[in-house]
Amino acid sequence: MENFSEVLSLFFVWDNFIAIAIGVFLGVVIGAIPGLTTTMAVALALPFTFSMEPVSAILLLVGIYKGGMYGGSITAILIRTPGTPASACTLLDGYPMAKNGEAKKALKMSLYSSVIADIISNISLIFFAAYLAKIALNFGAPEFFWLICFSLTIIVSLSGGAVLKGFLAAALGLMISLVGLDPVYGSQRLTFDDYNLMDGISFIPLLIGLFAIPEVIDFYQRKVASKIVISANGTEVSWSEFKKCFKTIVRGSFIGVIIGAIPGSGATAAAFISYSEARRKSPNRENFGKGEIEGVAAAEAGNNGVAGATMIPLLSLGIPGDVVTAIILGAFMIHGLTPGPLMFQDNLSLIYALFIGIMVSSLFLLVVGLGAIKYFSKIADVPKEILFPIIVMFCVYGAYAVNNNTFDIWLMMGFGVLGYIFNKTGIASAPFLIGFILGPMFEDNLRRSLLIGNYDMSIFFRGPITWFFIVLTLGSIFFSFKRWLAYRNK
Amino acid sequence: MKIKNAVIAISLVTSSVVMGLGASSAYADWPTKDIHLVVPYSAGGNTDVLSRQVADLLQKELDVNIIVENRPGAGSTVATGRLARGGRDADHTILMASPGHVIGASIYPNLPYDAVNDFKFIEKLLDAPNIMVVPSSSPYNTVAEFITAAKSKPMTFSHPGVGSSIHMSGELFKTLTKTKLTAVPFPGSGAALPALLSGDVDVSFENASTVLPHIQSGGLKALAVTSKTRFKALPDVPTVIETEGYDLGGFVTTVWNGVIAGNGFPDEGVEVLQAALQRVKERKEFTEFIDKMGAEKSSVSGEDFKSFIASEVERWKMVAEEAGVRQN
Repeated sequence: MENFSEVLSLFFVWDNFIAIAIGVFLGVVIGAIPGLTTTMAVALALPFTFSMEPVSAILLLVGIYKGGMYGGSITAILIRTPGTPASACTLLDGYPMAKNGEAKKALKMSLYSSVIADIISNISLIFFAAYLAKIALNFGAPEFFWLICFSLTIIVSLSGGAVLKGFLAAALGLMISLVGLDPVYGSQRLTFDDYNLMDGISFIPLLIGLFAIPEVIDFYQRKVASKIVISANGTEVSWSEFKKCFKTIVRGSFIGVIIGAIPGSGATAAAFISYSEARRKSPNRENFGKGEIEGVAAAEAGNNGVAGATMIPLLSLGIPGDVVTAIILGAFMIHGLTPGPLMFQDNLSLIYALFIGIMVSSLFLLVVGLGAIKYFSKIADVPKEILFPIIVMFCVYGAYAVNNNTFDIWLMMGFGVLGYIFNKTGIASAPFLIGFILGPMFEDNLRRSLLIGNYDMSIFFRGPITWFFIVLTLGSIFFSFKRWLAYRNK
Repeated sequence: MKIKNAVIAISLVTSSVVMGLGASSAYADWPTKDIHLVVPYSAGGNTDVLSRQVADLLQKELDVNIIVENRPGAGSTVATGRLARGGRDADHTILMASPGHVIGASIYPNLPYDAVNDFKFIEKLLDAPNIMVVPSSSPYNTVAEFITAAKSKPMTFSHPGVGSSIHMSGELFKTLTKTKLTAVPFPGSGAALPALLSGDVDVSFENASTVLPHIQSGGLKALAVTSKTRFKALPDVPTVIETEGYDLGGFVTTVWNGVIAGNGFPDEGVEVLQAALQRVKERKEFTEFIDKMGAEKSSVSGEDFKSFIASEVERWKMVAEEAGVRQN
């Protein structure tokens, strides 16, 4: 009981509420601006937390993280420019919805889905941290390898009807992901001795180019501005639509939680896996990619489900799963706290105060998100003749800002042309992205497994987790093939 | 005509002298504008966090703004190459260097700059040891036991990326002990830790700040520290050099950070910064900060810093060649 009052006194101070509010607000705004990443925002905010109380400091950073996860979807939906890599998936159905005049509906669905996923992720953090952390520790390279294999099977389902074109796009994405340094030997691959290519192709310029630029080219080519209807107005999410999506949201949230709990996986992969699972299960399968509200819900649930869960390995094992949690780990250390098993013994009250704060931050996300939709959605009402040049400006700025490198602007333009060709030839860009994101993870974990196992293949079949994903992978291939046959015979 | 030429000559000479004086006196009260502190990595890493803290303290010492800029790319070589080239604001641009500076130079022979002679070495700020750690389930309790085992069977060490100080420490250990260690790369220390904790890999030479909490909680066992002397935070853990029965005298690897500038940086600026950074190092905030990072203050500066860099480049070049990671 004494502990309980200590927890309350640690949490119920104004500073904490202000920190959460500022954090979530900053996160949403920065997440919405292409090129400004959540990681950057959290890193920039870190020095300001040195002088704060530990709980407020961590909550400020967590707020930015969560706000950023959601904020990225705003520009993805409205102007087809993903603010963060993880929101690339939201765009697949969000932007078509906006084009059909359902921008507001898409934005609201994205927010509701984000908030629900966030809450589910928080609850998992609070109640299942110890259990999930154990899974995370047992999730080595071979387990990861099979998870990626399973995820790669979704290429088939994301290709629309054109499976061959889908594989082509995925192969191209895979090829582009090979550019850079070899992960084991450090030798240069496809870099043409250019130092700009040594770290590989940057993700943000690729995304911005691939999605935003083709729209711009298309607009100027057609010059029929008034016919493209993007409006922020329009209908709200109806109760029946929400009910329809609820199962998808819960499923996506748990996919996010599990992927978030495993260090080194990431929100982008979670969004795509959740999206493809939703598509596989949905009766409206054919409508995915053309403005299906369930697609928006699935993508956002996947990436926001990750946010709370990345704190699981951080708090229970002291292991940061991504760059943002690595910075948050730094913030803990600066305040003389060491996340890990010992923290649950020594600073239990502080952890529970943090948990309350993290739950409160989800509610703040809802409030700030509703406000953001109201103001950001005015973007959609700007005449297109004015809006498109501004979008190009943001594209150029966004591509440059990630690494402060002009090379990335050219890269972005190049991918813009590629995206345009994709659009004209009916090649879906989702498989391309999957190849680009999952390709390196596939290679890394394959080679890492072989190194760990001293090139003994039995490491790929070493335990229940590997077998679980092997069965899933084979099942997924089987059902995709069956569906494809049925489709062909139709 | 002659007189006219003479007048022209004299006026040219005087004007160039005056301009020369002007140029040298232009830096008399350096800094004259904001200073750019370049971090050659993305935001969020150890070097970045340190740089922001140092910028904050240096700002108080010098009374100008210190703008921290992240310029990641190709290890740290993109930002470092740009620093060497000079350009706009070169007289007010400094860079937070780390072992990446010397390791980059030892791995890539075709860098567009000379890691020693194209820079002015201002002040080394800190040193932190790496720690040789094994999973708690590991049967080995001393470095000697580990070496004996690693000679008889293939074993693995984890590292957070090719060319990191952790990777190169492992390669150096392998070379000196003639063991059969295999390097297993991970994308960052965060991803490498679970493999180490669960025993998927046998050993690592991780940064002290990363593994200290796990040593304290019992998840990892520290076999040795890689510095010359024992580490304050782990007084009972021997250094690798102390290992009996093996000559491991060459095995000293530390993670360090220091401030460098390009050759276009004025000498006046170097002096001002050296004095200011030495005052920063004396500040309580700095001491507390590096304590938490598991690091110790360095007192190396100027020419000594430069010769340290020169010897490090040579040493890692040899290790990189032995390990087969030197690119040609």
